Amino acid sequence: MAAAHMEVNSENDAIQRKQSLYKSLDERFGIQKEMYRGQQYSQIYFARLHLMRTLLYSLLPNWKPHVPVCTVLGLEEGKECIIVGTIYKHMKLKPCILDEYSKERSATPLVKIHNFTSSDDYLVLEDESGRVKLCGTVLLPSVYVTGSVIALLGKETGASDFMVDDILEAGFPHQIERPLVSGEDKYVVFVSGLSVGGSSSNPLQFQLFIDHITGHLGDEKEQSFAAQIVQVVVAGNSVEYPSALLNGQNLSSKDQSRLSEPIKELDILLTQIAAGIPLDIMPGPNDPANFCLPQQALHRCLFPGSSSFNTFRSCTNPHSFELDNVSFLGTSGQNIDDLEKYSDANDKLEFMERTLRWRHLAPTAPNTLGCYPFTDRDPFFIETCPHVYFVGNQDKYLSRLIKGSEGQGVRFICIPRFVDTGAAVVLNLRNLECHTLSFGTELSP
Amino acid sequence: MASASDMKGFFRQKKKAAGGGAIGKSKPKKSTSFKKPKQSASYGTDQVQPTAIISHGSLDLQDDYDSNEEVLRQFDMSMAYGPCLGMSRLDRLERAKALGLNPPKEVERLLKAGKVNAECLWDGRI
Repeated sequence: MAAAHMEVNSENDAIQRKQSLYKSLDERFGIQKEMYRGQQYSQIYFARLHLMRTLLYSLLPNWKPHVPVCTVLGLEEGKECIIVGTIYKHMKLKPCILDEYSKERSATPLVKIHNFTSSDDYLVLEDESGRVKLCGTVLLPSVYVTGSVIALLGKETGASDFMVDDILEAGFPHQIERPLVSGEDKYVVFVSGLSVGGSSSNPLQFQLFIDHITGHLGDEKEQSFAAQIVQVVVAGNSVEYPSALLNGQNLSSKDQSRLSEPIKELDILLTQIAAGIPLDIMPGPNDPANFCLPQQALHRCLFPGSSSFNTFRSCTNPHSFELDNVSFLGTSGQNIDDLEKYSDANDKLEFMERTLRWRHLAPTAPNTLGCYPFTDRDPFFIETCPHVYFVGNQDKYLSRLIKGSEGQGVRFICIPRFVDTGAAVVLNLRNLECHTLSFGTELSP
Repeated sequence: MASASDMKGFFRQKKKAAGGGAIGKSKPKKSTSFKKPKQSASYGTDQVQPTAIISHGSLDLQDDYDSNEEVLRQFDMSMAYGPCLGMSRLDRLERAKALGLNPPKEVERLLKAGKVNAECLWDGRI
């Protein structure tokens, strides 16, 4: 008997679910082998600078072949040269822990600003030898963030600043060509921000989603579509705990049992999915996982029901995998949300594109985004270009197919929060086209 | 210099060094003709380094610091291999090799031979 099939009408013609070859690439995001020896973040910055600088040096001959390269300390006034280093953005609005001590204790509450950019921000380039303030109109402080590594062409001014004439970013990495799959459509469903257990989550909405993708709803056509779904990815914030329980107070036993309810509810729901479709679940900012990136996989003991299926995979955040030789890379949203606080762009996809051009998933880590202090590597460095780059827990669905300079084609996807929008994203593996699947439970008048 | 009877009971405080126990170190290079003060540290004392913190009978101006250690300290201080704090010297060497920085073979030889301090020079001091 086949493992997952659905009976259709009276013809006893079972629709088989399609399958895909899955390969996990999450090994680099594991921290099980790391040992904390009291190191500081200078180590990860060094690893990042060295990796990116070697890369940028290899690109320099194609960009400006005859210009000399020097270190920050080796700058000579008026001489045109190229410098490579880590950007530091000085922002006056960025909250600083020392402000709490310097200001007098007034009663004015701290206004929660969503975006800390201001027109006064300026950029500084830093390498091991020193730092230099950057000026000029070519380099826009609103685009860059602390932690990105770039190469700059320019010259030192009389005021000991560096006047930038041109910028080189690493650009999209090399992409392994996707084999052209003939004929069949296979779909990957992305969903995030389920917030099970939260006050605004609608259990019926998610149940509708589950019933639809497992083929329990709809006629033969709908079920055929559902049978073509080969993978479900849950990108973070799957549970929401009532904030009253998380304020650090001691909990009564009744409250303690309330703590385990969201995850139990989630397990029941995910079991229904895992019984039929391969499921990847990633931790998000609100999930019971560690705080710093890379977030480690949610523990199997949280999912006693679902983890008994071999289709259930608990993954890290960021998550990287390959499905039928299509490579995926994505996060639960912390990296892009942090970029939004410290830089400006037209939309979230532009932030995503920048991270890929800078070849770094989370440039603001560890500056403003919590990160494990790696000593010998930077796991957020993007080595090969993914075919699909997704980010979860966003305000709305956005998607674009962007081409790189060497012909790389990347599908960028912003997955909206399911609890707010009731929408999931469906991607066709054959042609990388994307659409949403929305579920509403309001009866329209 | 210091008389042998005063030396007993003074244990040189040392972090886990690859060299093993601290007793039995070679005599410090500098011989000093300072008179060893008998007072201990207290408010109003004019003694710079009273008995309690003088180890091995001389002022703690130079701890064991031979030419091998000098080579390793140069390795620690070298900017090219990145920050040295928070990593053992061998780990930093391995990282330098992995990143293709070609650290000097001398350093590798010294660290693998084992009779040197495994941690960087700032370890425990910062």
